[in-house]
Amino acid sequence: MTKNKLFGLIDLDTRFELTKFKLVRMLFKSRWFPLLVILFNLAIFLVILIAGFIGGYSSGNYNFGVMVVWILWWVLLMFMLVPVFARSWCLMCPFPIFGEWFQRGKLFGVKTGKLNGLGLKWPKALKNMWLMNFLFLGTTYFSGFFTVRPLATFILLGAIILLAFIVMIVFEKRNFCLYMCPVSGFQGLYSQFAMSEIRRKDPEICKHHTPKTCFVGNEKGHGCPWNLMPFDFKKNTYCGMCLECFKTCPYDNMAFNLRPPGIDLLVDTPREPKGLDEAWKAFIMLGIAIVFFLGFQGPWGWLKDMIRATTTKGYLGYIAGHTIFNLLAIPSVFFIFAFLSKLFSGNKEVSLKQVFINFSYTLVPLGLGVWIAFSLGIILPNGSYILHIISDPFAWGWNIFGTAHFPWTPVFTKYLGLLQGGIMVLFYLFSLVYGFRLSKQTYGDETQAKLGWLPILVFLTGITIVFLWLFLAA
Amino acid sequence: MKTNERLAVFLIILATIGVLVGVFAIEKYRRGQLYTVQLTARVPENGNWYPRQISVPAGEKVRIYIRNIETITHGFAIPDFEVAVKEIKAGEVVVVEFTPDKKGTFPFMCTVWCSDHHLDMTGELIVE
Repeated sequence: MTKNKLFGLIDLDTRFELTKFKLVRMLFKSRWFPLLVILFNLAIFLVILIAGFIGGYSSGNYNFGVMVVWILWWVLLMFMLVPVFARSWCLMCPFPIFGEWFQRGKLFGVKTGKLNGLGLKWPKALKNMWLMNFLFLGTTYFSGFFTVRPLATFILLGAIILLAFIVMIVFEKRNFCLYMCPVSGFQGLYSQFAMSEIRRKDPEICKHHTPKTCFVGNEKGHGCPWNLMPFDFKKNTYCGMCLECFKTCPYDNMAFNLRPPGIDLLVDTPREPKGLDEAWKAFIMLGIAIVFFLGFQGPWGWLKDMIRATTTKGYLGYIAGHTIFNLLAIPSVFFIFAFLSKLFSGNKEVSLKQVFINFSYTLVPLGLGVWIAFSLGIILPNGSYILHIISDPFAWGWNIFGTAHFPWTPVFTKYLGLLQGGIMVLFYLFSLVYGFRLSKQTYGDETQAKLGWLPILVFLTGITIVFLWLFLAA
Repeated sequence: MKTNERLAVFLIILATIGVLVGVFAIEKYRRGQLYTVQLTARVPENGNWYPRQISVPAGEKVRIYIRNIETITHGFAIPDFEVAVKEIKAGEVVVVEFTPDKKGTFPFMCTVWCSDHHLDMTGELIVE
């Protein structure tokens, strides 16, 4: 394998700038974009909220809210938005629009000077993914209700919209999105794998440009609402892709690039360091995927009963087991392999903590692969319901597109296991190619890197075999 | 800029209040135009018949549009007018037609044992 080529084929430095096309750059610089997309999604989410409220406790498979959020949106997110376009959902997310409107006092225009609201700084101790880790894990405690009870989806989405508004009144800019939103954390983590990025073009222009309008804003646009430094982006994790930096840069020095997948996994800078918070996010996402697969796509009825709270005791058992599995069990097993890695490498300089953190990023491609495979298990059997609910969104007997009576039609479910297995193998290979590079980054020395890589290779292979068994045999 | 701001505010109102008002206005118009009554069937613990009470005019042809939005089978009957649907399967919609020839309040009910609370799955037909 060539040193700087992915699978010996694609140069890791390859970039294809989409904003070099006039039309794309014009779109990115327009204040109507992404506002119009957000407003469109706001209307869709209002329909979702109405359907969720009206649907109440009825079954989820004929409910617009449940189907659009947990089948269509989730699958789009995991299949396309995150792996291809990074945090592009944040670009079009309608949840913070009311808070942002309040802060700016304007929907379209640019507010100069201090934003409305208390404008408090986000606590330094919470400037990481920990809060999102706990909130996302907490949300999954109710996963047995969200997918079957429209009212549960209504409550969840309503709570997120309300919380976003309150937090944006108290704290400055989009700290809710950056540090609280349950959807934000995993998008950030998996966006490191994404096939696109927003980066500055010529570092020299940024170096000599003062003030940094992408950070402080100007009459064309707001300073980065995510409180980041667009002139020094090195990875996708926290960039919400709001496109304000395209509007504020007088030199058109920002670019939207297509790139080989996964290269952010190798980035570790003082401004955007690798950390335990992101490591735990990787563990939690992998753990949740395992639990969800066993609970929702596996044949074990007793587990489904626990998740759906058939009995209080069973439900409490699920919460306890789910928490321990995600926060302790998976990290503990991984810790053993990280320890073995350091032992095998013979390296004395690198700390065990650093080994543990660095190798945790090998779980990003694998975890994303698991979620894509899991999403296939959602969309192929249940996708046909979408034709039904777009014609009759409130179960009132409407037939807008003439598809209200389209029967439940599973698609390609005969090949579901094979497709899921194929995806797993592909993303396992991504984990391997980046894993060995991470090993070289961690240990420096080639021989140490090879020896230290072995235990992690065993761990990743073991996880993949477990999933292949689940997809193909269980 | 001011025109754009006004347009943006108009669009957000359209996306929120517009959708909300639009949805319910369309439904109100549709219910008035297409049929006399619509009933949604759900087991009592999930919401029961919706609505529980329906009013229809005496001596005129009545159409009841019954939609089962659950994953279990329900049935429907108004014994006083000898109206019955043996089975309304999961996700199915049925329409019953009859002409109520007497005034008063009459019970309607589910006729398939759908849950432990099946016997509570009842409603009232008011003929005025």
